[in-house]
Amino acid sequence: MDGYNSSLPGSQIRLPICPNNSYCCIICCFFVLICVNLGKERTEVSKARWVEEIGMAQVIEKKGSLWVTTGVIRNGNLYCHIEEIGYLAQIGALVLLDEVDNVMGLKDIFTKCADRRYGCTWEFFEAYRHLKSLGYIVGRHGQPWSTKHDNLKPNSDFTADTGFIADRIEELQIGAANLMFDIHRPNSKFKKTDPGAPSFIICLVGDWPPRREEVEYLEEKCKLVPLKFCHVNHGDVRFFSFPKVSLPVLP
Amino acid sequence: MELSGPRWKGKNFAQIANSNPMSKIIAQLQVCLSNSESAALPIGTDFLLETVPELTKLLNRTSFGRQLTTSYDSKQYFQLSPEETFYLHHFLKCLKVSIDNAKLIDVNDLWNFMRSRSELFPIYYRAYVHLRSKNWIVKLGTKNGVDYVVYRHHPALVHSEYAVIVDRENDKGEKEGKRMRIWSDLHCAVRACNGVAKAVLLLNVMGYEVNFSLPELLERTIVDERQITRWVPSQCRDDCKLEGNKGEHH
Repeated sequence: MDGYNSSLPGSQIRLPICPNNSYCCIICCFFVLICVNLGKERTEVSKARWVEEIGMAQVIEKKGSLWVTTGVIRNGNLYCHIEEIGYLAQIGALVLLDEVDNVMGLKDIFTKCADRRYGCTWEFFEAYRHLKSLGYIVGRHGQPWSTKHDNLKPNSDFTADTGFIADRIEELQIGAANLMFDIHRPNSKFKKTDPGAPSFIICLVGDWPPRREEVEYLEEKCKLVPLKFCHVNHGDVRFFSFPKVSLPVLP
Repeated sequence: MELSGPRWKGKNFAQIANSNPMSKIIAQLQVCLSNSESAALPIGTDFLLETVPELTKLLNRTSFGRQLTTSYDSKQYFQLSPEETFYLHHFLKCLKVSIDNAKLIDVNDLWNFMRSRSELFPIYYRAYVHLRSKNWIVKLGTKNGVDYVVYRHHPALVHSEYAVIVDRENDKGEKEGKRMRIWSDLHCAVRACNGVAKAVLLLNVMGYEVNFSLPELLERTIVDERQITRWVPSQCRDDCKLEGNKGEHH
């Protein structure tokens, strides 16, 4: 399955519910194996509380090393975007609470992922999940991993973020190609306080391949950072690039 | 972006190619064809050219047209595509063409004739000129589901590196061609071509207007070259090149 780690542990998994070698059992086993791999029980489960005002969640219990490359720091606190929440919740690494500390189920989280009010779409989330599950460090394009402010007022850190989200929402509605992610290659030395330039930028494209003009416009916006275009089609996530080339004049 | 290297078909073939620059062989063809009495005649959508052994050898060495297999030894026959015919006639100024089997026609009449048979002829010719004038060998790409495949030298020496798709836009920058309009077009092209170790090259003829004359076509249009590559993130996470490579198939 593309995007998921389908490698099995060393010992074979025996499934007591499928002792026979019939078509039905084979299909049954196929799906059980996928679920086993995705839904591995985790001992380190973090907690975050949704803050509707800013369209993000504040991490209140941080477990494990995954937070080195997930979530943004705003004046010493850790927050995460809905796509990060969606991914971590799906793999069982995060529990999301609402504002009155009720646990929010995956259905509600997935619905929020698809709700454009939080700067995310379902396809955006699928692309995020695909890359994250392969070990890439994925951040929203143009958003700093870490900021600090002195003399903070409540939510003052988020003025830039909420403005950013508002711009993004507008772009999402237009449906044109949009610069969505800044990607760093898997890197154990990654630091939010000094992430360095991204390895490349991902642009999420809609129903139609980008036109040449769009490609050139977006390349200019990316400056020298390589640009890749992502097309998500019913869960299938694929990436293309359209580098300018020049065939040499041969002798 | 760095272009991937050619795949030569034999040991030392690269040296053989270097020792026989295509531009020189084409110059020899020009002389030979100019001195020949033979004229190309329309046949179906293509052109037929009767040749003699010396001309046959040069047409084969420069990979123009397809030699028709016959049992008749003193003369040979070549089938040339419209682009090849027009390129030899107009750009290399060496091929004679006769439409009604009587008098020879000039470049303007041939231009009109070609355009009357195919409204897209100017676009394909522009792309053909762009590639051939850089001394790449250009052959039809039907087998690979594309317009052309291009070779760095003769197809006997080297595999083709690029599968070419020709597209166009008008002078307002609006896409007019019907290629690569939907995602499955891209997926299909990349999959098919990467499976045979060819990169997909999109040649966009920009600034074309339908009423352009031949000089306007060549002077006022620009050919934009872009590769279409697929990146498979699961195959390249570390410090390897992040651009998709030819020959990957996923």
